[in-house]
Amino acid sequence: MGIPVSECLLKLMAEGYTLDDYRGDIPPRWCTGCGDNGILAAVQRLCRDEQLPPERTVFVSGIGCSSRFPHYMNAYGFHGLHGRALPVAEGVKLRRPDLHVFVSTGDGDCCSIGAAHWIHAIRYNMDMTVLMHDNQIYGLTKKQASPTSPRGVKSNTTPRGTYLDPLNPLSVTLGVANVSFVAQAADWIPELLYDIISEAYHHKGFSFVRILQRCPEFMPHQFDPWVQNPDKMLLLTHEKGVQLSAGLSKVYRKQEAHDPGDLHRAREIASLSEQIPVGILYRDSDVPCYEDVRMVDRLHTPDVIKGVLEEEFDKFTIWPSE
Amino acid sequence: MNGNLSKLTSFHVTGIKPALEAEDAGERSFRPALFAGYGDLTKLRYDYPVVLVESAAGSKFAQSLSDVVDGILREIAPQGAAGERLRKHVLKLEEELRGLVSQKDGASLLDLWDAAEKSLLTRTEKAARDLLRDSLERARNALHVDGEVLDCDEATPTRFITRGWNVVQAAKIHAVKKRIEHLVLKLSDILRADYMKTEEARSAEIFRASVGTAYDEAFDFSAMSGILAKERAGDLLPDSRRQRVQAALTVLQAQRFHAPLHDFEQTVVRQPLYDFVFDSCAAALEAFRGRLPEMVEVIKAMSIAELEIQNLYRESRHEPFFERFDEGALGPDDLALFPSYLICLRDERIDPAEAGRIFELLNSDLPAKILVQTDDLLRNLSLSAGQTSSVGGLELGTMALGLNKAFVLQATNASLYKQREQIVNGLRRDGPALFSVFSGAMPRVAGVTPYLLAGAAEESRAFPVFAYDPAAGPDWALRFRIDDNPQAEADWPVHRMMYEDRDLQGTSEKAAFTFVDFALCDGRHGADRVPVARGDWHDDMIPVVEHLDLAEGHAPDKIPYVLMVDENDRLQRVVVDDKLIRAARRCGAMWHSLQELGGINNSHARQLLDREREVWEQEKGEELAKLAKRAEPAGDASPAVAPPPPAAPVETTIEVEAAAEAPSDEPYVETPRCTTCNECTELNSKLFAYDENMQAYIADPDAGPYRQLVEAAESCQVSIIHPGKPRNPNEPNLDELLERAAPFN
Ligand SMILES: Cc1ncc(C[n+]2csc(CCOP(=O)(O)OP(=O)(O)O)c2C)c(N)n1
Ligand code: SF4
Ligand code: SF4
Ligand SMILES: [Mg+2]
Repeated sequence: MGIPVSECLLKLMAEGYTLDDYRGDIPPRWCTGCGDNGILAAVQRLCRDEQLPPERTVFVSGIGCSSRFPHYMNAYGFHGLHGRALPVAEGVKLRRPDLHVFVSTGDGDCCSIGAAHWIHAIRYNMDMTVLMHDNQIYGLTKKQASPTSPRGVKSNTTPRGTYLDPLNPLSVTLGVANVSFVAQAADWIPELLYDIISEAYHHKGFSFVRILQRCPEFMPHQFDPWVQNPDKMLLLTHEKGVQLSAGLSKVYRKQEAHDPGDLHRAREIASLSEQIPVGILYRDSDVPCYEDVRMVDRLHTPDVIKGVLEEEFDKFTIWPSE
Repeated sequence: MNGNLSKLTSFHVTGIKPALEAEDAGERSFRPALFAGYGDLTKLRYDYPVVLVESAAGSKFAQSLSDVVDGILREIAPQGAAGERLRKHVLKLEEELRGLVSQKDGASLLDLWDAAEKSLLTRTEKAARDLLRDSLERARNALHVDGEVLDCDEATPTRFITRGWNVVQAAKIHAVKKRIEHLVLKLSDILRADYMKTEEARSAEIFRASVGTAYDEAFDFSAMSGILAKERAGDLLPDSRRQRVQAALTVLQAQRFHAPLHDFEQTVVRQPLYDFVFDSCAAALEAFRGRLPEMVEVIKAMSIAELEIQNLYRESRHEPFFERFDEGALGPDDLALFPSYLICLRDERIDPAEAGRIFELLNSDLPAKILVQTDDLLRNLSLSAGQTSSVGGLELGTMALGLNKAFVLQATNASLYKQREQIVNGLRRDGPALFSVFSGAMPRVAGVTPYLLAGAAEESRAFPVFAYDPAAGPDWALRFRIDDNPQAEADWPVHRMMYEDRDLQGTSEKAAFTFVDFALCDGRHGADRVPVARGDWHDDMIPVVEHLDLAEGHAPDKIPYVLMVDENDRLQRVVVDDKLIRAARRCGAMWHSLQELGGINNSHARQLLDREREVWEQEKGEELAKLAKRAEPAGDASPAVAPPPPAAPVETTIEVEAAAEAPSDEPYVETPRCTTCNECTELNSKLFAYDENMQAYIADPDAGPYRQLVEAAESCQVSIIHPGKPRNPNEPNLDELLERAAPFN
């Protein structure tokens, strides 16, 4: 349906947002060298390039260093409860499908205390971009092992090192029903980080991006072998995924043409141990979104809302005469 | 030439009817021979009656009774012998129902079904009744549609198209209505949120009213109001904005183009909704023009509402725009937000002024859906030379093709049902559409049903079926279709006719159905025909179709005849006069042009083909001649032609190796690889700065010592800072610094 706001009107109102328009009032309080800074820069670039109106964009997070993200964005934000970013984001999307919803969550926030919500959010496949900042540690609480900490990491809760193999967020996500978008990025390859977040944003559905994020404070040198040796990285390229610039191609020579429609290969790639894959592992644009499935053809007029509320209240009302 | 034959020849040429001895043409009624089998249509399963199905979408708005019954049988009657009884019973009911339709005009399917059931049961012997009842009950349980039932008559085109229009309209406008209600709601929200910030909204009275009297004692509303009044509620909307929102809201609520979908609180009293069905173009145009200012207001209000809701309205930029927004600014997209105008016209009532308006509408962007119904297709036939006639439905259809802009469907009552997809197509499009329909309800034609006559008009090319949809693609091949005509490839459709000869032996003969056969159905043309007794049949009498194949005036001695049957179904040769033959030639010529447009026997294509073939044949000939020459034994063996060298394998992968950058003396950062980690910028924010993508670069190489460049390079985790050569040769410890810098340059 042609909405009468013609092109000409749209041009009249084009504001032209700059990156500064997405910067929050306070400067980021992350440590110098923290990978979260780069993630923030990539997201602000995306918002500018897509010209997302700040008042129609929402950043939801749980608790953690990474979950401070909404404070540093000039947009709507919801810094929620530990592990509960996803249910909040789902509520926002269900009621306001017109908003652009982003979620920032940490490896502790998502894979530990919030694991149940994570699994079900994948299954609900609501249209949102989920950035899982994986520094393999609880940063905010000053170094406790997280479910993604590699085996043997010594931390305040595991002074003799962890005993268990880490949980693999990619394989887990790929194993849940209705999964529709899974990607992995590394904060130290900003060009690709941007491209991947952009692809995630453009995917309609639950776009899960695990971002390997350096925490120089509590996990110094954790990713050094990969940062310093690009040959240990495996870049996934495809016409239906991301493509590399000539410059990047020169530095990262290990590449695989991977079709994001190939779930089987995606699972194999997710399980690689020595190499770190970066790119889009899986994408299926045909999975229905919960907010569309549950879309009701009803206007929420004040009367309707009042009626529904009255009906609910009546169930609990004790009438004086009875 | 015997006496009668010469009389017939003179009749054919002059049209003056002879007095024939053997046969008395009198007032006898003749039908085209091919009609002989179609006396009582209620015995046949065909497209009628049609059910205008209630609450159906798209082309499902019409379903033929046969289709409905077939659907039921598919559901309840198993294939083969097991379903035989059900099939027999249900088809009997269908036949009964067909008989009832013509008696109960406008009745619903369910009513007719019940009536048919009842009459069938009462007429059935007691013994068979239980089984029949069982079958009918099962069928009835499987009947899932209801709606008005249409027979094929004069009223059919209007009722059929009007229902289609209603259905399409409802679906097309639904989204617009939803949008408008959404806008109304959002605008109300803006005003309500604003109101909540006023003192009035936080007064004790309002609180009391909202809690209700039952708990009056339990609350101190004044205290509550006092507390809340102290809280800063935020700024109220500027007056200009509130007024603008209010004005848009009022326009959207009062507009008379769209019926509301939900009944929610209307703060504005709305006048009765507009009507969109008209019986003249003049009335429709007048209504459209009269409503234009209101349409402008609605579009404006919708645009303002969209902007306001998204908080994008800027007075300085948008005010001047909306001030100048008038009728001229309405584009096709805007018009598409309103219902289309259905105009139902009768061919015989179209005067030249109205015809002009039809073209005006068809040549515009206006959403006009025009139905022109023709009942008397042959009225121009009785005109004498020198008389002119106004443009009728037949001419309108072909003339509208020339506009290239409007959707055009020409069809008859016999094909309306088949054309329902096309009808919906034309109704759905935003722009104008013409539906030219021949009803078959010809005055003065007795004994032939409108359905049959409509079919005959298609069959005889008197009223061919075609559809032109400018939205279907860029060329005629995609836009224009004539393939729904019987035997569209042929000049005239040819049928095999079975009959019994004088010795009661079954024989068959091929017969074409031409315009003449159709014209002779019309009682008025009794004067143009003379039946000929078998004894007078003669070799110089040839079928009309053969006569038409001869060039005009080429066979003055041949007498054209058509085969017809009389009231006793006896086959007759009927000789026709030249006037009818001339009309048939015109009709054939028109059909040929339609065929060409539709890609059949296209003359340009044929010419091109001929030319190409000629060239090809010539080349071929030359080649053959050459080969023949070469084959002749030659004195010296001509060298064998060497095969071309195999092509070098094409490189499929291209290695883009950028030239290695020469180590630079200038310090630099590989900015696209910067991770925004703040290390370098924190070290010296004048030396290192972030660009518009928040990635570091050397902002001023002289803003810090070489030492800082080296330290930054060392602390950059992704090693993308290259310190280059020192700019100040006097900086201390340069030797050591250069050594440390080496790995990064
Ligand atoms: C319900 C609850 N339990 C525990 C905590 C303490 N807590 C705060 S942040 C955090 C872990 C954060 O780790 P992660 O999600 O990986 O974020 P990071 O700081 O590493 O970015 C925990 C356990 C809390 N705030 N709330
Ligand atoms: S503790 Fe780690 S994760 Fe948290 S801000 Fe510092 S570097 Fe970043
Ligand atoms: S130290 Fe390196 S990665 Fe960090 S901001 Fe500077 S150039 Fe960028
Ligand atoms: Mg963490």
